[in-house]
Amino acid sequence: MFILTKISDLVQVAPEDFAKRSIDAIEDNINAKYSNKVIQKIGLCICLYDILWTSEGLIGHGTGLVNINVEFRLVVFRPFKGEVMLGRIRSSTPAGVNLRTDFFDDIFVPFEELPEGAEYNHGEQLWIWNFDEERLFYDNHEMVRFQVVDEEWHDQAPAGPSQADDAPPKTPYRIRASMAAEGLGVCLWWDGA
Amino acid sequence: MKIVESQSAVLSNFEVYQHLTEQRDRYKKAKRRGPPNLETVVRELLQYMRTHPGPLSQDPLPYSRGCISKLLARLRPYNLAKGEVVMLLNLRPASVAALNTVVEDMAERFNEEQQEAIVTAIADVLGQFPAAEAQEDGEAAGDVDMDDTTAA
Repeated sequence: MFILTKISDLVQVAPEDFAKRSIDAIEDNINAKYSNKVIQKIGLCICLYDILWTSEGLIGHGTGLVNINVEFRLVVFRPFKGEVMLGRIRSSTPAGVNLRTDFFDDIFVPFEELPEGAEYNHGEQLWIWNFDEERLFYDNHEMVRFQVVDEEWHDQAPAGPSQADDAPPKTPYRIRASMAAEGLGVCLWWDGA
Repeated sequence: MKIVESQSAVLSNFEVYQHLTEQRDRYKKAKRRGPPNLETVVRELLQYMRTHPGPLSQDPLPYSRGCISKLLARLRPYNLAKGEVVMLLNLRPASVAALNTVVEDMAERFNEEQQEAIVTAIADVLGQFPAAEAQEDGEAAGDVDMDDTTAA
């Protein structure tokens, strides 16, 4: 679910941070830039793991910023394909079920990845799995187990003047998941038995 | 920004959990706070890991520093893939049915004895939720008390 990514970057420490210890200033700088943000094709950055190497700090001409080249490792959320994880049901639509974890919201289970016999109930707005005469509900906020099938990346970097102003921004990182296999789906169904 | 190595290691949930709690303690001692985006993601991530079916929600923590290498040694004969072991650590399947979601083609690769052995190895090294057994014990104890009182 989590990986380490090695990155080298230029850290600029502003004069008001000179009161901090250098290592703390660098750590805060890196965390402020990367934490809770998605890097395309890498994943959702959580926080700094360790600092491997730093250069001397150099003050540039014209500003009071101290420039430091730093090589460091980040903890990144990037589940691999086929990984089984826990999550909660956020909402259901005829297209499928939206899942979330506390820190990551963009997980989608398309209807073809639900087990055979699943049908959408328009009145209740949720999916129901008909299994051996029994009706099992995919209720909202229910804890589920799901398997990662695929991932989608959308670069949010501006495309220039040709870009329409009202185009809604696409989520930068989305996971497609499956709940079709045995043992996947609402945890209570499997753990209770 | 330059990505030097996109994936230099895989971490299990427990290792991330340890890193985050240590970081929190360190910040608390130094009486300082990280940037707000860091505080948000750390709070949400810890909340996620402490939610019930996850093994890290158990108190006291069932995992310890040495348990990963211990589990690897126990599972060596079964030739599990690295990804499968990471999932075992993260989810801690407590039954053969739960193991089935984590291990690919389980029925073909292992016979029933081996499947049972893997589940007991996980329970031995990583512990398990005491809930169901404790409840039964509690009821049994209650029954005994009742018998005692009637006998007396």
